[in-house]
Amino acid sequence: MAKALPGYGTIDVPKDRVVPFGAVTPAPVGTQPLFQTSNWRVVRPVRDDEKCTRCLQCYMACPDACWVYKAEGETLEWVGDFCKGCQVCIAQCPEEGALVAVPELDFEGGVVRLEKPF
Amino acid sequence: MAKESMMTGCRAAAEGAKAAEVEVICSYPIRPYTAIMMELAKMVANGELNAEFIHGEGEHAQVSVVLGASAAGARAYTGSSGVGVTYAMEVYSPMAGGRYPVQMSIADRTLDPPGDFGSEHTDAMSTRDQGWLLGWAATPQEVYDNTLMSYRIGEDHRVMLPQMVCQDGYFISHIPDKVTIGEVSQVKEFLPPYRPIHPLSLTNPVSHGPQIRPDQGAPMDAMRAQTFLAVPKVIEEATADFARIFGRKYDPFVEQYKLEDAEIAFFIMGAHSNTARTAVDKLRKEGVKAGMARLRWVRPWPTHQLAEALGHVKAVGVIETSTSYGSAMRGGNLIHELRASLYDLDDRPLVTSFMGGLGGETIWPADFDYMAGVLTKMVKEKRTDRYVYWLGM
Repeated sequence: MAKALPGYGTIDVPKDRVVPFGAVTPAPVGTQPLFQTSNWRVVRPVRDDEKCTRCLQCYMACPDACWVYKAEGETLEWVGDFCKGCQVCIAQCPEEGALVAVPELDFEGGVVRLEKPF
Repeated sequence: MAKESMMTGCRAAAEGAKAAEVEVICSYPIRPYTAIMMELAKMVANGELNAEFIHGEGEHAQVSVVLGASAAGARAYTGSSGVGVTYAMEVYSPMAGGRYPVQMSIADRTLDPPGDFGSEHTDAMSTRDQGWLLGWAATPQEVYDNTLMSYRIGEDHRVMLPQMVCQDGYFISHIPDKVTIGEVSQVKEFLPPYRPIHPLSLTNPVSHGPQIRPDQGAPMDAMRAQTFLAVPKVIEEATADFARIFGRKYDPFVEQYKLEDAEIAFFIMGAHSNTARTAVDKLRKEGVKAGMARLRWVRPWPTHQLAEALGHVKAVGVIETSTSYGSAMRGGNLIHELRASLYDLDDRPLVTSFMGGLGGETIWPADFDYMAGVLTKMVKEKRTDRYVYWLGM
């Protein structure tokens, strides 16, 4: 060949931007911080502990397992890092006012207020 | 002693899968590839192969099933043809992105409409940007060999990518040719067991296929591109090791036939290269310095190897057995990448393309004479008159 052809160079992914191989992560997703999925949420479900009957319809309905039932204390814990604000739990809740959608803007750390997502 | 027998490309693919001791197979019928699954079903029924044989409800399901099987740590195998290949389209990118080294055997068939069932490369070629390894065989023997080589390359921890092993429908898939099946000891030496990196596991639970954030998308793409930079070396190693163990030697990327002193060359892949070789011999007898370059891998594309093999030729005719309507050259796909590969040469060949073997038509020896005439005229006039010629039209 008359002259050297161009090559492909190298690709250097900065260490802090490396993604796990094949995006495989330790399970379950709800307990690991690598792939938080709540940064497009505009509302979040807020539970009224007095009105909630612990029927667990929200726990059953959530597509992302963001309602966790704590047997000790018989209460429900919300997983904010993964709740996308889809409101399926609110639609399923049989108790008037036990679960309501509150705009993220109403919260100081609401995801719509963040300069950088997480 | 390894024994030679007559078999079709479909049988050869099944023999390759059997030799690789695939653990999960997922089928759905569409001709011509379907004969591969018929052969494998018999092998499983007869107890020759210990594999889970699953009937998918369509090609999308087929590819999804083998994704799950691979995630669970099994060596998985599937295949399709024509619109079956395109029906599964959604699953190709998660397969490559999730780094599941499954194998899909393709016997090429035209896409619809209308429902022609002849061979054409457009089916698998339309998946070329999905991150899979993509290669073509030219004989049933090469189908068997590529089945083993592709598993070895795809499952290498430097690669971990799914592979499409393609053969022309009917011309290879249904015409018997001599095939030598390897000894078990040879296969064992060549192809180590599949070692998944992060398999689904009860004791070490992992999540596969999670949602990632937009800012993680670019580094993930870059990491996959990094892998493709490493693939050629793995292909070279595997091809050399294959020659050492099985005694069959392939050029890793481009078969070069009488190219050393060639003035005109056919650039081709798949079954019609067999006719091209004969045509080159005939042209040589007539005093035309012809040669042939046959592409073995479309992904990764062997840019530098093609520049090396074809750089000195005066005119190259790309024989396109796939369509890309409205594209830069208004013909097929190979011409774009070949022209790009030759662009930086000081003295590059003239390049045109010929649309042939579409809809399952044969490319006849007379077609090669015609193409040689066009290429010779280009050399004489020192210019490319047209980007594309349609054979017989």
